[in-house]
Amino acid sequence: MKRRIELGLLFSRSGSYSLISEACRTGVLSAIARINADPEIDLSFVPVERDPGGNFDLYGPMCAEILRDTGARHVVGCVTSWSRKEVIPTLEKHGGTLWYAVPYEGFEASDHVVYTHACPNQHLLPLLDWVMPAHGRRAYLTGSNYIWGWEMNRLARERIVLAGGEVMGERYLPIGSRDVGRMIEEIRFARPDFVLNSLIGPSSYEFLTAYRALGEEDGHFRPDTCPILSCNLTECELPALGPAAEGLVSAGPYFRGEEGWPGGGSFGSSHEAAAFTAVRELARLLAGRPGAENLSLAELLASDQGGIVDPGTHHTILPALIARVEGGRFRVIQRRADLPGDPYLTRTVDTPAAATLRLVK
Amino acid sequence: MRRPIRIQNLGGARAAILHRPHATVQALTRQLAAIGLEVTQFWPELGPEALGADFVFFDADMGHDGMFPWPPGAPPMPMIALIGSEAPGRIEWSLRAGAHAQLLKPVGDHGAYSALLIARDAFDAQHALSAEIDELRQRLDRRQTVVRAVTLLAARGKSEEAAYAQLRQMAMSWRVTFEEAAERIVAGSRGPMPLTREEGDG
Repeated sequence: MKRRIELGLLFSRSGSYSLISEACRTGVLSAIARINADPEIDLSFVPVERDPGGNFDLYGPMCAEILRDTGARHVVGCVTSWSRKEVIPTLEKHGGTLWYAVPYEGFEASDHVVYTHACPNQHLLPLLDWVMPAHGRRAYLTGSNYIWGWEMNRLARERIVLAGGEVMGERYLPIGSRDVGRMIEEIRFARPDFVLNSLIGPSSYEFLTAYRALGEEDGHFRPDTCPILSCNLTECELPALGPAAEGLVSAGPYFRGEEGWPGGGSFGSSHEAAAFTAVRELARLLAGRPGAENLSLAELLASDQGGIVDPGTHHTILPALIARVEGGRFRVIQRRADLPGDPYLTRTVDTPAAATLRLVK
Repeated sequence: MRRPIRIQNLGGARAAILHRPHATVQALTRQLAAIGLEVTQFWPELGPEALGADFVFFDADMGHDGMFPWPPGAPPMPMIALIGSEAPGRIEWSLRAGAHAQLLKPVGDHGAYSALLIARDAFDAQHALSAEIDELRQRLDRRQTVVRAVTLLAARGKSEEAAYAQLRQMAMSWRVTFEEAAERIVAGSRGPMPLTREEGDG
C-alpha cells in the first residue's frame, strides 16, 4: 500500500524564462511517474501545482498557499534567484522545504532549501579556468539586471583580474528587454577575447542572435576566436535560439547523452536532470519511513545516511562539464572531476585546472 | 568606498559565540558552519582561547565588560552583537564593547554572512583609520623638529626657502622622510656635524 504524499510544484509556465520552467517541470513529472509506478517504493507523490506566470510577487503567496492549504511540506520550483529569495521567508514561517533545480550564483545555504544544480565553483570557475588559457584574458561581461547577473559578473571580474586579465566592459539589461544594441556596439569596439553571458530569456536570445550577425560582419567575433560563455544555457533553450546558438560554450553538470551524473536515464537537459534528481532524492528520504513527510529538512537529513545532500550546505556533488554547441547540440569539450558544491567559495582550494581535467574527444 | 571589501578567507576562519546555550546559538552555528567557519560556543565568559578567534558574536542582552579578555572597547577582532531587546542602554553598551555589526535575535536562517562581512569591513576601516591618525599625530609632533632643522640650515646663510629646499633634497638623497631628515639635522647640530658637502648641498 502506497502512502500518498502531496508535493508542491511552483513553476512559471509563461513569462520570459518559461522554457527553463518547463524543463524542470518535465524532470519533476517524470520522476513522479517513475516513483508512483514502482511497487518497491511505499509512497506515491500527488503534485499540487501553482503557476506564478513569471510574476515575482506571486511566488511568496503561492508558496504559502501550497504549504498552508495542502499537505505538501516539500515544494520543487523557482527558476530565478529572485523568486527563490522571495519564497525563503515563507518556507521558514511554515517549516517547508524548497528543492531548487537551477544553476545559481551561490552565497546562500538556507536551512529550508536543497540546491540540486550547480553553484559557481561547479560552473563559472571551471569555465573561466578553461577559457582564459584557450582564448585569452580580456572579457566583456553581460547580465540581466538582478542578482544572478550581478553576482556572476562580480565573481568573474574578481577571478579574471586575479588571473591577470582585464574586463573590457560590463553591461546589464532589465529582465525581458531586447535592447542589446549598445552591448553589441561596446563589444565591437572593445574586441574582447570572450564574452560572459548572464542574460536570461528573451534578452539572451536577442543578444546571441545579434552577436552572430556581428561575427558575420567581423571575423574576430566568430565563436572560435571570441566565444560567448554561459553558465545557465542548456538544451531546453536551444529551440529558441536556432543557429544563433552555434559555437556557444556552456558549463553544467550534464549535457544530453552524457554518462555519469545523475544516472537513471537520459534527460533533455541538466535542468530536467536536476529536477528529476531532487524528486528522486526526496522519495529516497521518505521511503519506508511513515510520517517522515512531516519532518523538517534538518530532521530528515539528520536521520539519514548515504544521501546526496550535504547536511552542512544543502548542496550536492556534481561533475563540471564544458560543452560547445555544434550542429544544434552540445558536445562536451572538457570534463572535470566531481566537485562538492561550495556556495561561499570557502572550501575550494585554487588548484590549476590542468591538475584535474581530462580531455574528452 | 576607498577599498574593496574582503570577501575571501572566511573558509576555516574561527568564530566564537558568547551566549548561553540557546536556539539562537544553534541557528547561528548552522549558518556559520555552512559558510565554512569553525565555531566555538562560550558562556558565561570568553576563555583565553577566544583570543585566537577571527570573529566574536556576543550576547548584547546579558553582556557586561568582564566577559571579554581585553580592555573594554578594544577587541582585537571584529565583534558582532546579538541583540534581543532593543533597549537603548543595551545598544549603548554593545557599541562601547566595540560591536562592528549586529544580528537581531531570534537568529533564523540568514543574516550571519552579511554580519561577518560588515563587521570585518568596519574593523578594517577602524584599524586603517587609527593607523593613519597615529602617523599624522607623529608627523605633527615632528613639525617642531622640522622648524628647528630649517632654522639651523638657514643659519648657514641661506634664505628660509632655500633651507627648506635643501632639507627636502637631503631627505631624498638619504631616502628617508622629510621629518626624519630634519631629526638627523637637529641631532647632528648637537654633536659633530654629520653633513658632507655631497649629501648636504647637492
